[in-house]
Amino acid sequence: MPSAELLEEGAAPPRGPLRQLGALAIEQWRTWFDVYSVLVKTLYYCVKGVRVPGAVLHNAFEIGNRSLLFLSVVMGFLGMIFVYQTGLQNQRVVPDLSLLGATYLQLLVRELAPTITALMLATRVGAGIAAELGSMMVTEQIDALRMCAADPVDYLVKPRFLASLLMMAVLAMVSGSVAWGTGMLTAQVFFSVTPATFSNFTLLGIGDVVAAALKCLAFGAAVPIVSAQSGFNTFGGSEGVGWATTRAVVNSSLAVIVLDFFIGGACQLIFGG
Amino acid sequence: MPATSTSPARLLTPLGGVGRSSMELFATVGGMGVLLWQVLTRTVRLRLDFDELLYNLEKMALRSIPLVAVTAVFAGGIMVIQAAPTVQRLGAHGLLGWGAGFGILREIGPLLCALMLSGRVGANNTAELGTMVVTEQVDALRALAIDPLSYLIVPRFLGIVLTLFLSIVFTDVLALLGAAVGGELILGVSTVTFYNGLTGGLLNASDVVHGVVKSVVFGVIIALTSCQFGITTSGGAPGVGRSVNAAVVMSATGIFLSDYLVSFAIS
Repeated sequence: MPSAELLEEGAAPPRGPLRQLGALAIEQWRTWFDVYSVLVKTLYYCVKGVRVPGAVLHNAFEIGNRSLLFLSVVMGFLGMIFVYQTGLQNQRVVPDLSLLGATYLQLLVRELAPTITALMLATRVGAGIAAELGSMMVTEQIDALRMCAADPVDYLVKPRFLASLLMMAVLAMVSGSVAWGTGMLTAQVFFSVTPATFSNFTLLGIGDVVAAALKCLAFGAAVPIVSAQSGFNTFGGSEGVGWATTRAVVNSSLAVIVLDFFIGGACQLIFGG
Repeated sequence: MPATSTSPARLLTPLGGVGRSSMELFATVGGMGVLLWQVLTRTVRLRLDFDELLYNLEKMALRSIPLVAVTAVFAGGIMVIQAAPTVQRLGAHGLLGWGAGFGILREIGPLLCALMLSGRVGANNTAELGTMVVTEQVDALRALAIDPLSYLIVPRFLGIVLTLFLSIVFTDVLALLGAAVGGELILGVSTVTFYNGLTGGLLNASDVVHGVVKSVVFGVIIALTSCQFGITTSGGAPGVGRSVNAAVVMSATGIFLSDYLVSFAIS
């Protein structure tokens, strides 16, 4: 689809606001339809594809272990910020801070841990996948795979997809625990809420855990698929790889935010009662 | 970075790895400091290319509006969904506007806006500068006695900072709109109640300023990291990919770190 791609590369856009809007809509429609087709292919190969021993584990190491420090730092700081801001605002309305820990834990499980982990994975892993597949695309290695009657989705996307599904859940749990720990520390230091009061699990319901699990599943699937799509649509040499990387980060972050809205809304309507 | 060139055997030991990555981190942060100083001195003396600045603003700010708008509306909706259990438990429908407004203006608005723009504008900038460096276009500029900093870096730096500054205004308005609509549809809180909660006196201009200051700080961080990683790119086309990846990770870490520090400094 060179015509749709060229628009984003800064080529002369069509004149007139209506035409520009139309071009944007067509481009987005093509992109997301393409994402859908990559998803369907990946799911098909998960059932019927060639199994390469160790491929999933290797990718899980790339996605999981290499992101652990980065995610821990980010979520640690996020935990401190949220408890500090929430506590400060709570004091303006209700002086009682005994439910700070319970509210924070609920928010962490149903929203912050899956979503921020996914956004960070979208930048780190999504950019990596798009850069890798994009360079393979411009050096015609993917065409070579096709020549050998091996579908690149089967060999390249499927292991990353499975690894990302697995690692998304693991990383969300680990980084959520880090954020909870730093939040507990902040509550103790700034608001004198003891860890015993802070560790309050009473507000955490089945709905929150289901929402968290669904989000991990959806984000873990969305990031590699969306990034792989932009990797496969790379053209134009090394500069094209840079564009593909950018597109992967933007599209997968957008997918995470939109999915977050819909899954959160659905869970709220089902369990919120 | 000549100081980091060690024999491969030493890099394999865990201690060597830690040392090497710390040295790289220090080199990068130091380089960013030097770059910031060079950019600031040229900005103060107005030694920059204004045509490039306008071109970059068009490319960075104008073209990002759809992305920022979609992100903001959905972020507002997410805020309402997350505030829902607390609102329902306390029966405090009047406080929804306050809760969503506080969260959006101070935290979620600047944070999500910065993360999205770091992906779109920052990564893009690194890729462009990196490609220019590995294809020796920057050296060509020097050979023509054109200062690459005034011509390339300063316009991009100012472009990114201004983009963040302008986007936060859009984000705030659209996210509050998204929150009001979401509150009506999901929680049944009427938009009038939402508006009253928002303007009921618990929020004031300082919350908006808080978000704007954060956004500008994030802009400086995104601009510095993306330019620094772009101009230190080496190793041909694969090097550009590595630079983009490293820049995005570094600016995300920087955004969260400075979010924490700014929250403390001005609250």
